[in-house]
Amino acid sequence: MFEHILSVMIFLPILTGVILLMTPASQGIARITGLLVSLAILILGIDLYVHFAATGYLEFVEKLAWVPSLGISYHLGVDGINLFVLMAASLLLPMVYLVFTTREKGFYANLLIAQGAMIGAICAADMVLFYIFWEIMLLPIFFMMGLYGGPKRIPATIKITIYTIAGSLLMLAAIVYLGVSYHAQFNEWSFAISDMAKLNLSGQTAILFFFCFIIAFAIKIPLFPFHTWLPDAYTEAPTAATFVLSAIMAKIGVYGVIRFVVPVFDEQLARFAILLACSGVVGMMYCGIAAIAQKDLKRMLAFSSASHMGIIALGVFCMNMQALTGSIYQIVAHATSVGVLFLFVGLIESRTNSRSIEDLGGIAAKAPVFALFFAIALLASVGLPGTSGFIGEFLIILGAIKFNVWVGVFAGTTLIIGVCYMLYMFQRVFFEKTNPNTSTFKDLTLVEGLTFLPVILLIIIMGIYPHPFLSKITPTTALQFAGDTPVVAQTVATNALFPELTIEKK
Amino acid sequence: MELSVNYLGLIPLFPLMGAVIIGLLHVFTCNRTRLPEKVYGILACIGPILSFILALRVWVALKALPPESRFLTHDVFTWISVGEFNVSMGFLADPLACLFLLFVTFIGTLIHIYSIGYMSGDVNYGKFFAYMNLFLGSMLVLVLGDGPLVMFVGWEGVGLCSYLLISFYSEDRANVVAGNKAFIVNRIGDLGFVLGMAFLFWGIGSGGFDYLSLSVNADNLAPGIALAVCLLFFIGATGKSAQIPLYVWLPDAMAGPTPVSALIHAATMVTAGVYMVARFSFLYAGVELAGSVIAWVGILTALLAAIFAMYQDDIKKILAYSTVSQLGYMFAGVGVAAYSAGIFHVFTHAFFKALLFLGAGSIIYALHHEQNIWKMGGLKAKMPITYVTMVIGALALAGCPPFSGFFSKDEILYCAFATGHYGIWLVGIVVAAMTAFYTFRMIFIVFHGQARDQEKFDHAHEPPSVMTIPLIILAVGAIFAGFFNLPGVFGGNLMVSQWLEPSLTEVHPYTSTFVEIFVVVASIAAFAVGLKLAWSKYGQGATKPEFSGFSRFAYNKFYVDEAFDRVLVQPYRALGATIWKNIEPNVTDAPVKGASRLYMMLGNAFKVFQAGYVRVYAIYMVVGLSLMTLFLSQSLN
Amino acid sequence: MIHNYLFLSIILFCLGIVGVIARRNVFTVFMSIELMLNAGILALIAFARLHVHMDGHVLAMMVMAVAAAEAALALAVVILLHKHKSKLDTNVFSLLKG
Repeated sequence: MFEHILSVMIFLPILTGVILLMTPASQGIARITGLLVSLAILILGIDLYVHFAATGYLEFVEKLAWVPSLGISYHLGVDGINLFVLMAASLLLPMVYLVFTTREKGFYANLLIAQGAMIGAICAADMVLFYIFWEIMLLPIFFMMGLYGGPKRIPATIKITIYTIAGSLLMLAAIVYLGVSYHAQFNEWSFAISDMAKLNLSGQTAILFFFCFIIAFAIKIPLFPFHTWLPDAYTEAPTAATFVLSAIMAKIGVYGVIRFVVPVFDEQLARFAILLACSGVVGMMYCGIAAIAQKDLKRMLAFSSASHMGIIALGVFCMNMQALTGSIYQIVAHATSVGVLFLFVGLIESRTNSRSIEDLGGIAAKAPVFALFFAIALLASVGLPGTSGFIGEFLIILGAIKFNVWVGVFAGTTLIIGVCYMLYMFQRVFFEKTNPNTSTFKDLTLVEGLTFLPVILLIIIMGIYPHPFLSKITPTTALQFAGDTPVVAQTVATNALFPELTIEKK
Repeated sequence: MELSVNYLGLIPLFPLMGAVIIGLLHVFTCNRTRLPEKVYGILACIGPILSFILALRVWVALKALPPESRFLTHDVFTWISVGEFNVSMGFLADPLACLFLLFVTFIGTLIHIYSIGYMSGDVNYGKFFAYMNLFLGSMLVLVLGDGPLVMFVGWEGVGLCSYLLISFYSEDRANVVAGNKAFIVNRIGDLGFVLGMAFLFWGIGSGGFDYLSLSVNADNLAPGIALAVCLLFFIGATGKSAQIPLYVWLPDAMAGPTPVSALIHAATMVTAGVYMVARFSFLYAGVELAGSVIAWVGILTALLAAIFAMYQDDIKKILAYSTVSQLGYMFAGVGVAAYSAGIFHVFTHAFFKALLFLGAGSIIYALHHEQNIWKMGGLKAKMPITYVTMVIGALALAGCPPFSGFFSKDEILYCAFATGHYGIWLVGIVVAAMTAFYTFRMIFIVFHGQARDQEKFDHAHEPPSVMTIPLIILAVGAIFAGFFNLPGVFGGNLMVSQWLEPSLTEVHPYTSTFVEIFVVVASIAAFAVGLKLAWSKYGQGATKPEFSGFSRFAYNKFYVDEAFDRVLVQPYRALGATIWKNIEPNVTDAPVKGASRLYMMLGNAFKVFQAGYVRVYAIYMVVGLSLMTLFLSQSLN
Repeated sequence: MIHNYLFLSIILFCLGIVGVIARRNVFTVFMSIELMLNAGILALIAFARLHVHMDGHVLAMMVMAVAAAEAALALAVVILLHKHKSKLDTNVFSLLKG
C-alpha cells in the first residue's frame, strides 16, 4: 500500500501507547483507542499479506543508516520466515480489546507498546535493532504482570524479568561478537543479519557464542530446562498478557533461532542439533505429563503451551525443509489454538470467578456456542486433521523422522500426551453435571462470538486448505537449505535406519 | 490406467455439509426454541442418501471399465506441498473402495432412518445427527482417500466422532470417561499410523504419496523398513479395529446410543483397520512376517473376545465382544494374505452385526433402557419382528449355512488352512463353536423362556415401523449377502474376490475339493456343537449363574482393564504429579533457585562491610587511595 | 627547601585523617576535613613556587572557594542532623548499615 508500512506498524502502537500513558485518558477511551489502533494494524497486516510475493527474499524492505561508523542501520523486512509470526502479532490483538473490556488505562497502553515492540523485533533485519526491540517488548509485560496480575504476581514478575534479561545479555554479547567477527573477516562493520550468513565461524569461541544465542532464545521459547519461569508467569499474568506471551512472544524466540542460529551458526548447530532436538522432545513430554496434574485451568494450558513449544522448537533443530516449514506453520496454528484457549479461560474466569477444574462442569449444555469454539481450538491444539494443528505437527514429525528415527518416534508421542490432559480437562469443565458455579453460565455474546469467529474459521481453513499459506513459506525455507550444507548430510549419516538418504541433492 | 472424474469429492462432502448445517442449527437453537425433530431427521438423511446414489454411480462407472483399469480419481486441490513431500486432497475409487462405499452409505442411510425413531425425545436430537453426519463424511473420506495421508484425515475424523458419540450422554461421568478412553487408545494406534507414514515416505524416497504411485514404487523399500512400516500400520489398525492389546476401548464404547454402536462400533469404523491392511496389500504381500503377526494377533483376539462374550450379561457388551472377535477373524484373513476373504467378511459382518445391534436397540428401546439380559426373557411373543430378524442375524453371526456369515467365515478358515496356517485354522474352528454358543445364549435368554422382570415385560412392545423396516432390510442382507462370493465348492465363482482383484495383491489358494469340503464340514460341525451347548444350558429358561474359578476370571474379563489401569493410567498420573510436585521445584528449577540463593548469600556475606559508620567508610577510602597511590608509584618507576 | 613545606603538608593531612577516623563529633570531623584540604592547598602552593608557575595558585584559590561553599552546605546539613536526633555523634547516624 505504501512504502513505510512496517515502520507504521511498529511505531503507531508504540507512540499511541506512550501518549495514552502520559495523558489522563479514561479507561474507556484507552480501550477504544487501543482497539482502533490494533484494527488499523490488522488491516495493514492483511494488506501486507496480500501483497507479499513469496520471492523467498526480504520484501517491504526499509533501510536507513543509523550508526554508519559501526554499520548499524534501521533495517526492516519480511520474508517467508517472519511473515507468519508477523501475522500472529498483527492479527490477533484486537480480540484482546474486545474480550477484556474493563481493564485499566495502563493495561491497554502497555498492550499497544507490546504489540509495536513485537512487530519491531519480528521485522528487524539488523541485529542491534532486533536487540533493542527484543528488550523493549519485555517492558510492557513487566508492567502488565506486576501491576495487574494475580495474587502472587510479584515473584513471578521478578522471575520472568530477570530470567529473560539474563538471556538477553548473553545474546547482546553474541551480537557484539558477530559484529566484531564480521569486521575481522571482511574489514568493514555490519550488523545486518543477512551479512552474518557469510561469516565463517569455527572453534571454541563460536560454540560459546552459539550457546549464548541458544540460551537467550531457549529462555524465551521456553525450551526445556529453561521453562521454569513459565508456569508461574503464565498463571499470574493477566490473561491478556499470558495470551501475548504464549501466542506471540514465545514464537519470536523460535523465530530468533531460525533467523540467527540456523543460517549463521550452521556448523555448530549441526553438531549440537541432536542435543537441542532432544531438549525439545523431552520438554514436550515433561510439560505434557506435568499438565495432567494441574488443577488450575490456566496453569494446565501453560504447561500445554510449553509442551507444544517443545515440538515447534524441535522442528527448527531438525534442519530439513519439512520440519522447518512445519515449525513456521505451527507457530500460527499454536497461536490460534492455545493462545485462543487462554482467552477462553479468561472468559470462563470472568463468568464464574474460578479457574479451578474442580469447580467447573457442564458448561457445554449451558453454552453450546462457546463449547463448540473451545472444542475446535482444543482439537487444533491436539493436532486433529482438518485443523491447522495437524499440518504443522505432521510436517515436524515427518522431518524429525528423517533427522533421527528415535527423536521422531518420541516426538510422535505428542499425539497421545496432548489428548490425555486436554480430554480430561474438557470432560471436567464442559461435560458432566453443572454446579452452582456454572449453572448460570452465559453463552458468548454476539460481540464475543464475532470476535472469535474469524480465528475459529482460520483454524479450519488452515487445516483443510493449507497450500496457499504453505506456498508463502516454502520459497524461503527452500533457500535456507539450498546452499552448500555439509551439515545435513553429516547428520543424516548418523541415522542408522535410512542410510540410503545420505545423498543430499545439494 | 485411471480415469479422472469430478464427483468423488462430493460423496463425503454431502454428509459433511449436512453435519455443518445441522450442527449450526442445533447450536443456535438448542437453548431457545427447539426445532421440531422432523427437520433434523430429514436434513440428516439427505446427505447419506445422496452419497449412496453417487456411490451407485461410481459402481456403474467402474463396471463399465475393463477390470484392470477400474480406477477413478479426483484431485480436488493441492493439499500439502513442502519440498519433496507433495500430497493433494485427492480421492480414489477402485473396486475395493467402491465395495466399502456401497455398504457404508447403504447401512449408514438405514441407521440414520432407524435413529429417527430411536432418538426421538432426546434433548440433543440435533447434536446426535450432526455427529452422525460428520461421522459418515469422515468415514467416506477414509474410504475414498487416494493416499495414506488423506485416509488419515478420515481415520482421525471417525475417531473424533466416535469419541463425541460415546460421550453423547455427557452428564454421566462414566460415559465421558469411556469416550476419553476410546480417543486416547485410538491415538496410540494413530501414533503408529503417523510413524508408519513417515517411514514409508522416507523409505520409498521419491514418487507420489498416493496408493497408485506407492504400489508402483513399493519395491524401493528396504526389507527392514518394509517390515517396520507394515507393523506400524498394523498398530494403527489394532487401535481402530480393537485388536490385542488395544481392544479395551470398544466394550466401553457401548456407552453411546445404540445406533452409534451399530454404525460406528460394529459395521463401519472398526473395520477401517482391515480396510487399511487390504489397501496396503501391495506392502503386506511382500512381508510374510508381518502377515503372520497380524494373523496370530487377529485369531488370538478372536479367541479372547469370544471367551469374554460367553460370560457377559449386558446385551450390548456381548455384541461388542462379538464384534472384537469377528474383527479378529478379519485380521486372520488379511494376515494370511486372503485379503478379499477378510474384506468379504467385513461386508457380511456389516449387515448382520448392524442388524443385531439395531435389534438390541429395539429391545432396549422397548424395555426403557434396560440392557441386562438377565432382566429380559420371553420377548419372542411381544416383539415378533425383532425376534425373527435377530435370529437371522444370530444365525449369520454363528455361521449357519446358508446365511451370509457362514460363507465369509468359511472362506477365511479355508484360506488359512489352504495356506498352511493350521494353527490359525484350528483356533478359528474353536472360536466358531464359541461364537455359536454365546450368540444363541443371548437369543435364548432374551427371547425364550419366561419373563424375568414382569413389570418391564408388560411394557414391552414392538417399536415403530421407522425402526423395524431397517431391521427387515438388514435381515434380507444378512441372509443373502453371502451369495455374492460363493466358492467353487458351492458352485459359485468368488464374484467379490474377482471384483476386488484390481485393488489387491493376492493369490487365491486352490486346493483339492476334498479339502474344501473338509473345511466346510468342520465349520458346520463347530456351529452345531455351539448351538447344541447353548440350547442345553439356556434353552428352557435359566437364571444368572454364580461365577467361580475360571468363569469368574472370564466374567471379569481377565482383569485386563484393571491391569491397564494399574500399569499405565495410575503411574502416568503419578508421574504427572511427581513432576509437578517434586521434580519441577527440586530438580529443574533448582539451578534457578540456586542462582538466586547464591546471590542472596553473597549479599549477606558482603553486608558485614557495610558498617553504617562514616568513619569506617573513611578508613576504606584511605586504605583504598593509599593502595592506588602505591600501585601507581610502583608502576611509574 | 620544598621538603619542609611538604612535610608540614603531610603532617597536617595525617592529622586530618586521624581526626576523621577517630573523632565522633560531627564538627570535629568536619574541621578535620578542612584541615586535609588545607594540607592539599599548602602542597599545591609549594609546588607552584618551586616551578614558578601560576596554575597551582589558581587551583589553590579554587579549592578555597569550593571549601567555603562546602562549609556553608555542610553546616546546614549538620544543623538538620542535629534537629533529627538532637545529637552530633556520628555513630548515631548509621542508616546505611547493611
